[in-house]
Amino acid sequence: MKVRIIAKLDVKPPYVVKPVHFEGLRKVGTPSEMAKKYYNQGADEVMYIDIVSSLYQRNIIFDEIEKTANELFIPFGVGGAVRTIEDFSKLFHIGADKVAINTYAIQEDPSIINKAAKIFGNQAVVVNIEAKKWDNYWECYTDCGRIQSGKDVLEWVKEVEQRGAGEILLQSVDADGRNRGFDLELCKKVVELVDIPVVLTSGAGSLEDIKEVIEYAKPSGVAIASLLHYDKYTIQDIKEYLRKNNIEVSG
Amino acid sequence: MSNIIGIVNYGIAGNIHSIEKAIKAAGGQTLVINKPEQFNNVDKLVLPGVGSFRDAMQELSSDGFIEPLKNNTKPILGICLGMQILSTIGLEYGKTKGLDFITAEVKPMLVDAKVPHVGFNHIDVINSNEILEDLEGEEFYFMHSYEMVNYTEIAALTEYANHKFVSSVKKGNIYGVQFHPEKSREAGVKLFENFINLKGEK
Repeated sequence: MKVRIIAKLDVKPPYVVKPVHFEGLRKVGTPSEMAKKYYNQGADEVMYIDIVSSLYQRNIIFDEIEKTANELFIPFGVGGAVRTIEDFSKLFHIGADKVAINTYAIQEDPSIINKAAKIFGNQAVVVNIEAKKWDNYWECYTDCGRIQSGKDVLEWVKEVEQRGAGEILLQSVDADGRNRGFDLELCKKVVELVDIPVVLTSGAGSLEDIKEVIEYAKPSGVAIASLLHYDKYTIQDIKEYLRKNNIEVSG
Repeated sequence: MSNIIGIVNYGIAGNIHSIEKAIKAAGGQTLVINKPEQFNNVDKLVLPGVGSFRDAMQELSSDGFIEPLKNNTKPILGICLGMQILSTIGLEYGKTKGLDFITAEVKPMLVDAKVPHVGFNHIDVINSNEILEDLEGEEFYFMHSYEMVNYTEIAALTEYANHKFVSSVKKGNIYGVQFHPEKSREAGVKLFENFINLKGEK
């Protein structure tokens, strides 16, 4: 089975930014130019996450998303501030293949997952999880790691799977932007718990970190942001390294 | 001779935009078809599909597409769910009759691995045809939880978790691909180019 290598764009419209531990933001380029660059490097997918609109209760900025979609002939996922079935519908219409939801499903109405899965198909509905580690469990956060939900991550992932989510994007509030490696236990537990694909993100600081989490947790994909943004490595570099280490990747 | 590719828009086909874009990149002309009467204005049809078998057939039916599709003699390319509904019957959310171009059933993928099957994967061409020309062994993007079961019209197989499933079918001028050529880089654009270059109506 090939592990998908996904380029993740954290967007504060109109720029891709690099969050440092969910706090300070540094601009790195526009979403469409970054998406094109990673497409040309051989990314299996591009994931666009608007990291501020949910928190600021803004609406989705569709123009930038459409412009980004136009650069790609690979799957394109979009998330951030998705609140209604109309949001899903409009995002698919302008070129998204998957839509990720977090805050609204946790804080307001989890049944939006069921509704969206039924209308657009399970594979098109991604649930984005922001996990914060406590002593003996992980708690779901929302709004880019700022708001506590009280929900246990391991219970929530089972629930969203039953509701019809087709994929989980697993972020770690603790590991994100620190480039010190993934929360390995969290990753492994979630992958083992659900039957749907799990994409891991947050924490890759080196090629070894990526290899380690793939070998340990066996995810369906890994989404990479900062490691790519500063041209430390290209997608090709990552894939070549993984291939040398007997991990199957496409391309 | 005109060579316009009609993309059937039946409500739930969310990825129309991507398909149009890929056909244009392959040098083709497209027309989004909202009513069956528009079949007269095109030379070939693409049947996309996102969602469930049942909903797709319901939408096709309520938009009046089923009979015109069955009576149509132009080449058709079904993509993903659009390939699955070419079958006799689908087992997603109960039993639903399909378009029955290809005697087949569509059932959940039963594998010892994550479902949906998502990502780039190779196709193994079993019985080559015009649209798969020069594409043997190429990688295409898959995103599906169900598979078509057929033993007679197989064009290509793909392996996932030690399970081989039908990734492409062909019967007469009806073609189906389980993967998404519009999401499969240059190989996908090439497949559309092959479809554009097909001879039109018989």
